[in-house]
Amino acid sequence: MRTENNNTGTILRIQRMSTEDGPGIRSTVFFKGCPLSCVWCHNPESISPKFQVHWVGSRCIGCRSCLDACPERALTAGKKGIAIDRERCTGCLKCTDVCPSTALEAYGQAYSLDALVSEVLKDRVYFDKSGGGVTLSGGEPTMQADFSLELLKALKGTGVHTALDTCGQCGWDTLESLLPHADMVLYDIKEIDPERHRAFTGVTNAKVLENLLRLGGFMRDRGCPRELWVRTPLIPGCTASSENLRGIGAFLKGNLGALVDRWELCSFNNLCLNKYDGLGLDWRFRGNGLLGRDEAEHLAVVARGSGVDARIVHLSGPLRLEAAEKAALSVIKGGSV
Amino acid sequence: MSMAEALQVTKKIKEPKNLSPRITWLRDYYFEGAKRAWNNEFTAWTTGTDWDEVFDEMTFYIVPETYPFLQTFGSSIRQAARPVKLHPDFWSWSLAERKAWFVKEVMVNHVPQELLPGDLIAGARFNIQTSMCWSKKEARERSRLVHGKHGVRAAMKWFHDHGYGNSGATSGHLIPGYERALKIGWMGIHEELERHYQALGPKDRQGRKGAQLRAMMTAATMPRELAARYAALCDKMADEEKAFVRKAELKQMAANLKRVPWEPARTFWEALQSLWLTHMLIISDENYPGPGVSFGRIDQYLLPFWRRSIEEGMDPEFGKEVMKCFWVHANTAYDAMVRIGNNGITAGYGQLITLSGMGEGGKDMTNELTYAMLEVIDEMTPILEPKPNVRLHRNSPDALLDTVVDMVGSSQGSPFLINFDERSMAGMMVEARKAGVTHLINEANVHDYAPVGCLENTMVGNDRSGTVDNNLNLLKAVELSLNDGKDFFDFIDPITLKKEKVAQAGPKTGDPRHFKDWEAFWKAYVEQTRHIVACCAALYEQSESIRARFCPTPYLSCLVKGCAEQGLDVTQGGAELSFTTLEAVTFATTVDSLLAIKHLVYEKRECTMDELIAALKANWEGHETLQAKARFKAPKYGQDDDAADAMASQVMKLWCEEAWKYRTVSTNRQFRPGMLSWNYWVADGFILPASPDGRPKGRFLSNAICPSNGADINGPTANTNSVGKALGGASADGMGDYLGYRNCLPNGASHTISINPSLLKDPEHKEKFKAFLRGYAENGGTCLQLNMIDADTLKDAQRRPEDYRSLLVRITGYNAYFTSVGRELQNELIARISHDAL
Repeated sequence: MRTENNNTGTILRIQRMSTEDGPGIRSTVFFKGCPLSCVWCHNPESISPKFQVHWVGSRCIGCRSCLDACPERALTAGKKGIAIDRERCTGCLKCTDVCPSTALEAYGQAYSLDALVSEVLKDRVYFDKSGGGVTLSGGEPTMQADFSLELLKALKGTGVHTALDTCGQCGWDTLESLLPHADMVLYDIKEIDPERHRAFTGVTNAKVLENLLRLGGFMRDRGCPRELWVRTPLIPGCTASSENLRGIGAFLKGNLGALVDRWELCSFNNLCLNKYDGLGLDWRFRGNGLLGRDEAEHLAVVARGSGVDARIVHLSGPLRLEAAEKAALSVIKGGSV
Repeated sequence: MSMAEALQVTKKIKEPKNLSPRITWLRDYYFEGAKRAWNNEFTAWTTGTDWDEVFDEMTFYIVPETYPFLQTFGSSIRQAARPVKLHPDFWSWSLAERKAWFVKEVMVNHVPQELLPGDLIAGARFNIQTSMCWSKKEARERSRLVHGKHGVRAAMKWFHDHGYGNSGATSGHLIPGYERALKIGWMGIHEELERHYQALGPKDRQGRKGAQLRAMMTAATMPRELAARYAALCDKMADEEKAFVRKAELKQMAANLKRVPWEPARTFWEALQSLWLTHMLIISDENYPGPGVSFGRIDQYLLPFWRRSIEEGMDPEFGKEVMKCFWVHANTAYDAMVRIGNNGITAGYGQLITLSGMGEGGKDMTNELTYAMLEVIDEMTPILEPKPNVRLHRNSPDALLDTVVDMVGSSQGSPFLINFDERSMAGMMVEARKAGVTHLINEANVHDYAPVGCLENTMVGNDRSGTVDNNLNLLKAVELSLNDGKDFFDFIDPITLKKEKVAQAGPKTGDPRHFKDWEAFWKAYVEQTRHIVACCAALYEQSESIRARFCPTPYLSCLVKGCAEQGLDVTQGGAELSFTTLEAVTFATTVDSLLAIKHLVYEKRECTMDELIAALKANWEGHETLQAKARFKAPKYGQDDDAADAMASQVMKLWCEEAWKYRTVSTNRQFRPGMLSWNYWVADGFILPASPDGRPKGRFLSNAICPSNGADINGPTANTNSVGKALGGASADGMGDYLGYRNCLPNGASHTISINPSLLKDPEHKEKFKAFLRGYAENGGTCLQLNMIDADTLKDAQRRPEDYRSLLVRITGYNAYFTSVGRELQNELIARISHDAL
């Protein structure tokens, strides 16, 4: 989807002092809207390109200001607090404006290019000291390609390091237009098997892999972006399998060789459960715990043995506490765990 | 696509490590507290007259927790005091001479000299309360000034009861001229005093100046005579000692003590011995158990001794062993009130040491002793004293930052404060200009500055800046502006229930309900700010003038340049650099309150001024919607929002300019601004009424220069940028107060950031954190305290305090054992945002 006005972007949030989205200290701009619908998605509020509203019960003071403010009568106060009729809600955000305690909160905010640039440049000095910069993430920045392009150009114009974090599900011409202005790309390969990919995300990985091949060609021909990090989420029962990692590793080795600077295995995170609740969505991973350390380490070993340069494989994200750690913790905490 | 990092539950309570059996024993013994057979509790000593006073309550006026007990302290200490046989001429001497003789007599001939097993540093008991040595007439006069109807005690109590804050001429809180004492010895100091005395004309010699110098000469012989006693003790113990190694140690200690502190120190061991005795006698002299008596740049002035001893074959580990003994000694200052326990009164004395930092021409001064001391800190931590402050600047080496970040990562909070040179020095340059002392502080020597207590920047060896003496709640001016110069409510004494009707305490600035616009309100706020600063300066004058007349500290005066030269005690403004600091409290609460008034009443017209005042008087009860708007919809300082931070800057400039308008009349000390809020922001939240930022009475105020609790929603970099802007930021033309930096607070400002330990989880993240510190040096404040604990650990420590006895937490410059601070403060710490815990 192209935005009407390439000077306004729909942004989910800006995270400053991000240490997880590329090198150095970064400001990460999370775009709203994603072409995939991964069953495990950690940021379900980023999928819809529209403004959305959610209600945080612990903040609500029960003033009911929101009920009258909604022109669509989409809000009702019940025993479980404020209920949002998603069919009626148009995302006009009148309720979030009026809510005094930010219990009703908007997912999504319209940013002008100038405002966004000046906001992220506030941390310029930390970027410079750390070799960091700005990461466009999401959601999916290529879904707002014009705005992303303007943003990348503006940032490059100031000399700030830029990173594009993409799922690769977009037209090549879109991606190609952004690449000259990105110092690096963070690229997701979630699943190597096309059918499993379809089952997990709604589409096969044909486009994702094709674009990655073309990205490799672009980097070889043009010498930019200079850096490429591939990211694979380790989702229990889905992508966290040896076959998948062997398959991705073989693809990377066979097609990209030394172009991949890092292959990050990001372990499953269940902290997003309350986001699903807030959006009134169910989540099939509701009962899933974190990945165990042994399991994650094993997968990292598989990835390192898959043919890629073993040094590029990094493991990140939260892991389940092992028995020994729990015991150590219970000593520290006097057995309260 | 980015994944929020879950909390990694890998943090542990820091344990000491690499300690020898000797140090392990000394450290463990120290932590036995009141159970110890030996301790350094106050002993009290009197002239035996029936009018004698053995306790100076004024030095506790900045500790409101003690107010209900001042009378009791005074009486019970006098009751417990043992009489000292006086010199036959005692009552013919000046007060300063009496005091010098009395303290020396007590320390040398009455307080026992003892040495703990294995200890390598002599100088054990030093906490004393001595007679004020007043004649009957002096005692009566001083009592009238303190306890009379218009006396300072009543004035101080009014000031505190009505939410203005507190103020009092306080002991400690300076960096004495230790380097000079090591270099020339007390012998050299004594010779100089003698020279000054001989240079006096006969009239001066018989007058005040002569008396002061004679008192100082008496005081200057105290270290020699006390060292002789300890030397004799070591010799005796050596004779009785069977173990060969210990016997040799004791003999060497005796030899050291026969030289130092009287003669210049030669070896590292001698230097530490000399430094310790010199330091501990200040605590004795002031009758004040050490808060803020700081060591300055210890890794610089001890370096020649360290190098010499290393060259002569000293094992660096032995050098560290002597330092560790020194560390234990510094902690025994807390024994003063060992039976009260580790509470707010006795936590965080701040005998500060300064490490690293800039030298001439921006050169980095980190050296091998810096690292050796950091190792000592790392191995001894957790332990409170001496409190370290590491100075960083643009040219700080990577190796130092690596060590700093590693130590931060392995402790519950950083085991030291971090001072930032460029910003701090910019403030010192402002001070020099404002006070007309550019001959004493200038581009050529400003790098010699060092912090006192926690983070309060001063020069060294010639500077008393009263860094904790005045603590003013800026928020009081908001209350007065909202009520035409009057308190909101009658004051009811919580103990006697006596009611004091609302009075016109501040200037009449008009009924705010009739103000046309924001500018009219701001004008009222300016007037009321002028009023509260003036009140504070007037209150300080009362205690300062009494101290100057009745409470000389001739021993300390020997170690502060300017006193001998002028024949003036340090309590009389004798220091070359004589300032007193106005520490503003409630900064962010005040800024946010003004922002809320502007937003709610004048810009968004969410309510009328009448409604706002009604809501505040009702403590927001029944006005929850407006309260929520004030808390969550009005702009806040600390989010790197330029408009909100401009208000912060405006508030800052205003009260700073007011502070610079005052000097003490009695001692000619210039007021200067700073922001350290110790723990007042906790307790005074129960005194000050509800504030327009949405805070009800009973909730905490903001701490020092930190954003209000929960306001720093944009993370550490945004928080840091706001703080830097509030201080003055960078000058557009690069011509700041120092390089491009501006800083309107010469004292500096305390800034605490809580950071999730997962930010330091691996080498890559540690590199990022180092970069954050380098960014802080550019954009941030003067001093940073990092907290690295997560809420779960703290909650558990509340439930099971016995398991967390040594859990150190640091709240701005003030640090304490978590389990020993009050419940409200514990809850407050838990409420703090942990930045990475999304």
